[in-house]
Amino acid sequence: MTLSDETPGGAGMHVHRLLDEAFAGVEMGPDQQDLKEEMRGNLVARVTELTATGMAEPAAARRALDELGDVRAILDATESRPGPGEAAWQPPRVRPNPAFAVRTVVLSAVAATGLLVLVLAATVVDVPLAAQIVAVAFVALAAGAITADALRQETTTNHPVPPARAAGYGTATLLATTGLGAAWLYLRDAGLPWLVAGALLVVASAVLFTYLGATQTNRHKAWVLRQQAPYGSDRFTEDPAAAARFGIYTVTVWLVAAAAFVALTLTAGWEWSWLAVVGGFVAMTVLIARMLFAPKA
Amino acid sequence: MVDNSRDVLAADLLRGHTDTIVLGVLRREDRYGFEIFKRIRDATGGRHEIKEATLYAAYRRLMKDGLIEAYWGDESQGGRRKYYRITDAGRAVYRRNAAAWVATRDVIDTLLDIDGSPDTTQRRSS
Repeated sequence: MTLSDETPGGAGMHVHRLLDEAFAGVEMGPDQQDLKEEMRGNLVARVTELTATGMAEPAAARRALDELGDVRAILDATESRPGPGEAAWQPPRVRPNPAFAVRTVVLSAVAATGLLVLVLAATVVDVPLAAQIVAVAFVALAAGAITADALRQETTTNHPVPPARAAGYGTATLLATTGLGAAWLYLRDAGLPWLVAGALLVVASAVLFTYLGATQTNRHKAWVLRQQAPYGSDRFTEDPAAAARFGIYTVTVWLVAAAAFVALTLTAGWEWSWLAVVGGFVAMTVLIARMLFAPKA
Repeated sequence: MVDNSRDVLAADLLRGHTDTIVLGVLRREDRYGFEIFKRIRDATGGRHEIKEATLYAAYRRLMKDGLIEAYWGDESQGGRRKYYRITDAGRAVYRRNAAAWVATRDVIDTLLDIDGSPDTTQRRSS
């Protein structure tokens, strides 16, 4: 099997050899490979620990593997039912947090009550302006809290958003909702300052949302990324050589097109020389299609 | 049970709590396999260690139940490390099991000492 090629010496080398020996004859599937890699990392750590106490490296590697015991027994113990490829793709399900569900329902009820007050004020009942302001505040606070709370939750496919960022989104939601509420209050006969304040709040929330969105990194879980990997990335990120070839081809195509354009202009005249540019464009399009979406080998 | 030597440690009792122990180790931060093993070994002062084979099985079981999840570290040299991270569901299970253990321990303490009195010489020879 593979030996020391990829190992830059150090703690790894003996471990790699012994590990390969231990796994000799084992039928390797994705699960087994995964386990082997995990063991490798742990063994290297153990060997580092042993050599720190002054043990020679080969002996340390041997000892670490002995401590591990029989690899086959571990393989048997970790064996999941051998549905090929299926077991590995059962992503662990993360159950919703019950407290989160309760919080969301309660906050939604608060927001709904606030909205109800506003609707009633606009239609049938005569509600004092102060009460309407309070209603808007409740709706906005509830919306902000629900947003932040939801982002803090871990889901099956996403990690929880960090607290500060979740709070940022919550605040942005709060500002936007308050701004809209203030504009609504202006329509309900509050003074012009309400409209100005509302507009400012909406702008502030837009700025905050933009900032958060621009600095966002997706915290997808490892298995989501792994599932997306075959589809998500394009050829140039997978294969830098293809990108380099593409650059060279591009220059070549346009050089030829330019030369043809000049030649045609001088010989056949303006009526025909534009065809060279069209030809270059067609070649370029085909090239892009071929390079980016290469037929599967 | 505390100050006795390793021979009397009830190994199967401990074995029944492997999953909870692992969850407990992961409570504060993400760790990789050997780190977890070492934490357990060191925490008991070497009196008890959970076999690595048992731990590998425990990780996979916990992952299947969605209580922990794994990701690979980005060590460039030697072996990459597979880190485990506890999920919210895992924390809930940990809290439940820890509480259950405390309750059970109290009951067992009581039951083992059911006829006990402050008088310690009360041991029947049969």
